[in-house]
Amino acid sequence: MPEKIKITINDREYEVRPNQTIMQAADSVGFRLPRLCYHPKLSIEGACRVCIVEVEGMRNFVASCAYPIYDGMKIKTNTDELRRARRDIVELILDNHPMDCHTCERDGNCELQRLAYAMGIKTRHFEGEKKNYPIDVSSTSVVRNPNKCILCGRCVRICSEVQSVHNLGFSHRGFKTVVMPAYNEAFADTVCSNCGQCINVCPTAAFVEKNYTQDVFQALSRKDVVKIAQVAPSVRAAIGEDFGLPAGKNLEKETAAALRKLGFDYVFDTQFSADLTIVEEANELLHRIKTGGKLPMITSCSAAWMKYMEQFFPDLIDNISTCKSPMSMMGAMIKTYFADKIKADPKNIVSVAVMCCTAKKYEAARPELMVNGMRGVDHMITTREASWMIKSAGIDLVNIKGEEFDEPLGMSSGAGTIFGATGGVMEAAIRTAYELYTGKEMPDLDVKAVRGLKGIKEGAVMMGDKEIRVAVAHGLGNAAELLQEVRKNPDKYHFIEVMGCPGGCVGGGGQPYVGLNCVPLDENLLRKRAEALYNADRNRKIRKSHENPDIKRIYKEFLGEPLGKKSHELLHTHYKQHYPQGIIPGGGKC
Amino acid sequence: MHNRSLEVFGKAGYFNSQLRIALRNCGIIDPGDLDDYLNVRGFEALAKVLSGIKSEAVIAEIKRSGLRGRGGAGFGTGLKWELVAREKSDQKYVICNADEGDPGAFMDRSIIEGDPFSVLEGMAIAGYAVGSDKGIVYIRAEYPLAIKRLEKAIEAARKQNLLGKDILSSGFSFDIEIRLGAGAFVCGEETALMQSIEGHRGMPRPRPPYPSASGLFCKPTLINNVETWANVPVIVVEGAEWFSSVGTEKSKGTKVFALAGKINNTGLVEVPMGTTLRHVIYDIGGGIPGSKKLKAVQTGGPSGGCIPADLIDTPIDYESLGKIGSIMGSGGMIVIDEDSCMVSIAKFFLEFTQSESCGKCTPCREGTKRMLEILTRITEGQGKEGDIEKLERLGNMIKKSSLCGLGQSAPNPVLSTIRYFRNEYEDHIKNKKCTAGACEKMLSYVINDKCIGCGACKRACPVNAISGSTKQKHLINQDLCTKCGECYKTCKFSAIDKG
Amino acid sequence: MKTPLELLTDKKNAAAERLKEKGYLSKKRVYIGMATCEIAAGSKEVMAEFEAAKKQGLDIYLSQKGCAGRCHVEPTVEVVDPEKGPVLYTKVDAKKAKEIIQKHLIGGEPLAEGEK
Ligand SMILES: Cc1cc2nc3c(=O)[nH]c(=O)nc-3n(C[C@H](O)[C@H](O)[C@H](O)COP(=O)(O)O)c2cc1C
Repeated sequence: MPEKIKITINDREYEVRPNQTIMQAADSVGFRLPRLCYHPKLSIEGACRVCIVEVEGMRNFVASCAYPIYDGMKIKTNTDELRRARRDIVELILDNHPMDCHTCERDGNCELQRLAYAMGIKTRHFEGEKKNYPIDVSSTSVVRNPNKCILCGRCVRICSEVQSVHNLGFSHRGFKTVVMPAYNEAFADTVCSNCGQCINVCPTAAFVEKNYTQDVFQALSRKDVVKIAQVAPSVRAAIGEDFGLPAGKNLEKETAAALRKLGFDYVFDTQFSADLTIVEEANELLHRIKTGGKLPMITSCSAAWMKYMEQFFPDLIDNISTCKSPMSMMGAMIKTYFADKIKADPKNIVSVAVMCCTAKKYEAARPELMVNGMRGVDHMITTREASWMIKSAGIDLVNIKGEEFDEPLGMSSGAGTIFGATGGVMEAAIRTAYELYTGKEMPDLDVKAVRGLKGIKEGAVMMGDKEIRVAVAHGLGNAAELLQEVRKNPDKYHFIEVMGCPGGCVGGGGQPYVGLNCVPLDENLLRKRAEALYNADRNRKIRKSHENPDIKRIYKEFLGEPLGKKSHELLHTHYKQHYPQGIIPGGGKC
Repeated sequence: MHNRSLEVFGKAGYFNSQLRIALRNCGIIDPGDLDDYLNVRGFEALAKVLSGIKSEAVIAEIKRSGLRGRGGAGFGTGLKWELVAREKSDQKYVICNADEGDPGAFMDRSIIEGDPFSVLEGMAIAGYAVGSDKGIVYIRAEYPLAIKRLEKAIEAARKQNLLGKDILSSGFSFDIEIRLGAGAFVCGEETALMQSIEGHRGMPRPRPPYPSASGLFCKPTLINNVETWANVPVIVVEGAEWFSSVGTEKSKGTKVFALAGKINNTGLVEVPMGTTLRHVIYDIGGGIPGSKKLKAVQTGGPSGGCIPADLIDTPIDYESLGKIGSIMGSGGMIVIDEDSCMVSIAKFFLEFTQSESCGKCTPCREGTKRMLEILTRITEGQGKEGDIEKLERLGNMIKKSSLCGLGQSAPNPVLSTIRYFRNEYEDHIKNKKCTAGACEKMLSYVINDKCIGCGACKRACPVNAISGSTKQKHLINQDLCTKCGECYKTCKFSAIDKG
Repeated sequence: MKTPLELLTDKKNAAAERLKEKGYLSKKRVYIGMATCEIAAGSKEVMAEFEAAKKQGLDIYLSQKGCAGRCHVEPTVEVVDPEKGPVLYTKVDAKKAKEIIQKHLIGGEPLAEGEK
């Protein structure tokens, strides 16, 4: 193979790498051909036909996303006929789309809207019948609106190829084609993990989160209740994007201030309960190791991962850490410890979680996680919903003066911060487990082996003379691969971290839609968001969960000791097999 | 091998000018009896090939014969074999495409029901030539008898060591299994077909990679149509020279057509490539019933084109049909007489392709729907100025932009009827008139002077659109009339004109 | 060792023997169109007539065949007399089948409308 080959685009010659598609080659020399169904992380669909180009010697247009280049290929991307064909194709999509752009969840951030404008569709030539299907609101987390679906199939592909959930597919033919779960089952009754990645990759608003902002606004206007918010680590690392700030800006204090301005009486930090989780989880790990308990122990903080595990890997339930997630630990502490502290009836506390996640909506409603018959978290809103509320209430997040989180559930260590990035829980747990096990300071707190965006990361930590083998997977597809390995080879690892979303929580299904010049799941974006958290960790004086003074205090004042009776009651839970059982089909891609 | 039907049926009438290669044994042998097939030189081609002919030589022979795929596109069969043979892989597949989704086409069914062994033999020869030991027949579940015959034939061939391990002690193994399709038209498209065999929803995928490089289960795959397969043994036995002596320069051999519509002798006919449409329609088909005038011939199935009567001296081959806006397709041939409205015909075919579109690519899914809407309004008297241009604009875009052959050919019936019968479209749109009288909604019912004022029509009218006093000539209010035709049926005095 | 062609020739000869044993050369052969289209046109009842006659002692070689493509004249029955060659009957129903049995197969005289 030659290093470079020559292709001609619009009469100009370019030298490009061989073995790529027309789109890749064109992109590499400064084009960005219009596109819709294409996504760099997913298989090639070739369905939308928006990226068509002309190739000399071919009768028909070809989809540049799918067609490979060859030496001497002559390509035209911009002829009158092509422009008109592209325009007509996009009009055809638009003609079968509800025209409620100005009130749509994706307003200003819709790929179809942008494309329609770019194609110059001023008049409609072909308007006719529009599809009209019921909207599926059965799920706690994900709303499916087939009327906004343009059948690009990105959700279908991310659900199967990246997340290995395989919940979505095309049904029916021709104009009646719809993306739906098998048998058009209500979403709530499917294997959907609630991860929300379909929302992230959807170019329109065919998938959106179940919106709870009105419930929260209503609660905030009540005088008779105490309104408490908690904020997940990765929310602060991304929320600025919704306000036009560049990715990777940590808006911790600004978010706390904005939530207070919205009307919350107390704003707590989920990073505090992340520290709490680590103390419990590290102790649990050491307990399992010392007493010959079930290993590898697998983390349980990711809500999508938990549902996925219960459906696809029920045989591994005993491997799952019994620790509740940081959100639910916080919920439990608010409704007990903190209620006591402020002498409030926990029934008169409304606890709202602001998360990067859609699956946490499902988690918040789980009956197993009830605290004395109450929900620990009454409402869960995504980063996007929080942004909307802040905008809606006329709060200037960008120029606001930052404020601290409230005590006593607001102080966190660096370890709690990095929870938001893949590998972060593992790293935080190692920091604490190392010191608990060896009784010595850990020489280098950065556990580089578990950082970064590799799908499955492996590492080994020497705790004194004991080698602890660990693995980290992010994205359910990677998790499934790793756990199939665990099924085959149960002694391979001691400790495994799984996050349901690619990149961990920073890539959560509730994070801001990506802006221009960026695609969902873009690794640079995920890296920048994660970097915001790693920077915060580096700058913290306290970087280990068990050294967080408020954690020490809560054990002293309330919980007693890690894995103790009270912890067991309030901070731990159990899992059980969940139906329908999930199936990961065999056979691979070409 | 190929002219036994003449022996059996004589030279008269229907079979007179047919040349039966693919259909050579259909209606001649007992399809359930391998002995019968052996008796007509069955499996001689396979045995010949296995007796020392190199696989490259087999491919060269097929290439020299000029055989082209009979499934629609007319791709060179020998070349396709060569592409698969060239690939290196631990597993290759040979597929027989027996999905036959074109409504009105049934030559593949007829071949499998009448002569299943010839298909199996053709596939085994290809297996040898390209280096595959596994054949699959993908056949639609709506063909239960064909499936039964095929199963029996495979079983019988295995018993006689003509399929399976070490065929005729040659060291070559090849076995065939059957996969059933659920009857989606698009599953006849090769990439969709393979998706379907793999257990997925049958949706085409972009090519390349072509099946010859990455097909079924990502392995090099050779896929040919039933009729193509049935030709193979004859070429091997009779030789490429003989085969290529039949037909035209670029289209060799014969083609089977399913003759239907307004024609006296409906049925399957197999004629040498290059035979004219006129010959097929008048000499073999026996002309149009009721001495009506021929208006057009629609060839190539639902995505073919309409050829006007003044072009029926066109020779039938891939290139000539393509030049006049139609296709060979799988060999559907529907004869249309003067009573048919070309707009309705175009609409009929588009209805089929639209509802059979897999829904994957935008032009086909959305575009054909909009074309259908426009056609519908034209046939209902709601056509607008500019509609023809819209149809052309959409049609040309869909042809050039669609993902697979379905979309790329779906506009053909519309574009070809606009090309040759534009005046009919204009008549519908401008004058709100369907000359053929086929568009129900465009008819108007008018009472003429024969009316004696009996009032029967008035009583029959469900929308009270008819007024008039007894023994006076009645009147139909055209604004109220729904064109249901009840009055027309009721009147005993021919006093109502329909037109 | 025999070549595949030689092996096939053996098989062919054996097949011919078996066909002969069934009376392929000695008896009148009756082929009934039994493709889906022929069955739809009514060939099952035609087949039943011939089968019944055979049961009652009519000495013929009875066989099915596929569709010859002549949709407009189905069901078809072909009678091959070893001496006289084939006669093709079209649009056969039970009544016509009985006639063929009586006149052609038993009586030895082809029906007048038998299309050659
Ligand atoms: C929409 C569509 C439907 C098709 N249906 C059939 C079919 O029913 N049978 C068939 O043999 N080929 C069909 N084809 C053609 C196949 O894709 C493929 O070209 C063919 O099987 C190759 O065999 P051949 O080279 O022997 O023709 C279809 C193609 C398209 C685009």
